[in-house]
Amino acid sequence: MTRVVHYLNQFFAGIGGEDSAGVGPGTAAGPVGPGRRLGALLGDGFEIVATVWCGDDHAAAGDGVAAEIVAMAAEAKAELLLAGPAFGSGRYGLACARVAAAAEAAGIPAVAAMHEDNPGVGDAGAAPVVGVGPSAREMPAALDRLAGAARTVAAGRVLTPAGGRVGPVPRRGVLAEAPAAARAVDLLLARLGGDRERSEVPLPSFDRVVPAAPLADPAGATVVLVTEGALVPDGNPDKLESARATRWQRYPLDGLDRLEPGAWRSVHGGFSTVWANEDPHRILPVDAARDLEREGAIGVLGSEYLVTVGNGTAVATARRFGVEWADDLRRSGARAAILTAT
Amino acid sequence: MRAVEFGPATGYAGGVLTVARSEAEARLAHPALDGVRLSWASPGEAVRIVKVLDAVEPRTKGPGGGGVFPGFTGPARPPGRGETHVLRGAAVVAAGYLPRAQEGLVDLSGPAAPLSPLGATHNLVVEFRPAAGAAWEDVDDALRRGLLRLAVRLADAAVDAPPDTVEVLATAGRRNRPGLPRIAAVTNLQTQGAFKDVFVYGRRFAAALPTLIAPGELDDGAVVSGQFGHPGLKNPTYLHQNHPVVEALRLRHGHDLLLAGVVLAPEPVEAAGKELVSAHAARLCALAGIDGAVVTKEGGGNADADMALKMDALEDAGIAAVGLFAEMAGPDGTAPPVVVPPERATAMVSTGNYDERLRLPAVERALGGERFDLAGVEATAALEVPTAVVYCSLSPLGWGRLTCREQLERSIA
Amino acid sequence: MLCNLTGIALRVGAPRIVPTRGIPYPTGDPALPPAEERAWRRRLVEQALVAVSTPVEGPTLFPLDGGP
Repeated sequence: MTRVVHYLNQFFAGIGGEDSAGVGPGTAAGPVGPGRRLGALLGDGFEIVATVWCGDDHAAAGDGVAAEIVAMAAEAKAELLLAGPAFGSGRYGLACARVAAAAEAAGIPAVAAMHEDNPGVGDAGAAPVVGVGPSAREMPAALDRLAGAARTVAAGRVLTPAGGRVGPVPRRGVLAEAPAAARAVDLLLARLGGDRERSEVPLPSFDRVVPAAPLADPAGATVVLVTEGALVPDGNPDKLESARATRWQRYPLDGLDRLEPGAWRSVHGGFSTVWANEDPHRILPVDAARDLEREGAIGVLGSEYLVTVGNGTAVATARRFGVEWADDLRRSGARAAILTAT
Repeated sequence: MRAVEFGPATGYAGGVLTVARSEAEARLAHPALDGVRLSWASPGEAVRIVKVLDAVEPRTKGPGGGGVFPGFTGPARPPGRGETHVLRGAAVVAAGYLPRAQEGLVDLSGPAAPLSPLGATHNLVVEFRPAAGAAWEDVDDALRRGLLRLAVRLADAAVDAPPDTVEVLATAGRRNRPGLPRIAAVTNLQTQGAFKDVFVYGRRFAAALPTLIAPGELDDGAVVSGQFGHPGLKNPTYLHQNHPVVEALRLRHGHDLLLAGVVLAPEPVEAAGKELVSAHAARLCALAGIDGAVVTKEGGGNADADMALKMDALEDAGIAAVGLFAEMAGPDGTAPPVVVPPERATAMVSTGNYDERLRLPAVERALGGERFDLAGVEATAALEVPTAVVYCSLSPLGWGRLTCREQLERSIA
Repeated sequence: MLCNLTGIALRVGAPRIVPTRGIPYPTGDPALPPAEERAWRRRLVEQALVAVSTPVEGPTLFPLDGGP
């Protein structure tokens, strides 16, 4: 009999709506809300022994929360963790994905359920994501798909795209029989022979980004400078990495009309930083922004700038930084950001 | 070559390469260097080389042969004819700090050893101290020239020994056999200036348009690396000398293809330059009657843009193209593998995942530095690192067998 | 977003893109004398303000005349 723990957000757990989005993780014995129907669909051989929930905002806040939630599932002796369905809800989807990823990493098989366009589909790590409809109106069908995926995973089989899997399938390093150069020659001769489909690397698909509505009037707005050019105060006091960023930093621009060469440097490892170090404005255009602020073309230049390094930085990390920067900027009252990219 | 050692005189006898320290140190002497230290690191030893810079295979043309490494130790003229003497199984390796060099490592035993060509060679490791007040560019130049001189000296020491193998390399060129496709190796070189540069005939290549050379010129050291970026993606001088794509094409030359030549191209740092170089490379291949190309790169995501542009330009010119790409698929392998894939020439070979984590055991001895700064630990410590830090592990020239496959089998944890 | 490799920016869906002249210097151009380089930088930032004030449906380039 497989012991299942079900993860839900604050809304589906019956805690509250948007007003409760900041609530921390909680748990109850047995199924809650849609978990009851899910339990019935799973049938004999499965039991939802506990439900864990968390507010969407709290879950989106940091890495530690997913671990906390998985610890609660482990306490209930979970043998399988099911998260969602999150449908099209972005924060819920990200939370489900991260919880499923953390569960897998902790040795508990997991499945997350959400719509294929949900930004969370790429964040589930080694855990599979099963595709469901975009809105909660389709809850019955969604629970059906989640139950089906759960049965596949519990049987030790891998959920495939044919079985409803959405999002990327993990790619793992292996040693091939022949060196890459020899395989390239094989692939080239195959292509010359008419095979135009064969490739070791599939073409990627990217997120669809919904553009923000335009600013009505920049003259009244706070505009913030942000960059992945790794421009930091000389000495790199917070040790920003030169490649494969794991974090981002913020530094004050208050009272600065311009950036003095020598007081700033770029620690980016992906290009020659000679020009940037000669004149930091080539990475962060503080001088031009201040001029425009003085002239009233923008309301206020942000009192800080945000910085990371875009050199071999994982896409999932960059995506997370983007979400965190957006949150940070929104809270500080910024209406627009200018991102300089190298 | 069976074994290596230090001894009173540099020489090669009975399969043993002996190096006299004082003579070798003298080869490396230069005002920009305060001193050097030489050590051997051989396959199977519990040794780690950190802060790896360049690696060179000992080669020489022998007396009166015209020299290798044109523009450095040999006259700046296209080489690539006659006999080249190769001390296979050895490498001269520089290790230590240079600015903008990204920290990399080689393990001579354990799981990382098979991931680097230097895991299987007897490495004469050169550690160095810069002279007080010396400009880093001068230190880099002095080290490079010293390394090349030392590599020639080692090969010279063995030149009288009877060869263990003689390879006859067919010359590429105009001669055609009807029905066999003419294939070129298109090799992109990083050309970003100090510590991120690759030299052709001893010259900087950043402003050049793509050029066509004979494969034999690579054998004789026409391309020398001064680029110290992403270690996993590094193409050291050693691999230009033993160009994997050229070797793979040579194996089949005259059977089911003709090796028509090697195109060298710089990797400009701006879009307009990238577009020009890529368009020109495709034109050059078309003029040379090329039917298909294997395209390689050097560097990270920036270089992927050059790959995509070249492959699509070749495709548009009616020339089939395959490109070698390292994936940046994240530690879980679920991120988009290639951020800038080609749009029309979509045949790609994967040389592994940059981000996949490796666990490396502690070692007994480390060369090149006391600490592995990336992890903030002693260089001999056990490490958990991304594949990206192992020297040549993701070999963009196609040396390695590492690749990625979709994990559709459940692994038994 | 101000960047040189606009193909990538378009492909990953960045909605508003101002093309720049080089990877190592997004808001610069070392080939210009200092005053002209500052003027080029100002034009880039002004164009960025135009871009954020313009409605777009999907990834859109906002190139400057005499741009890269």
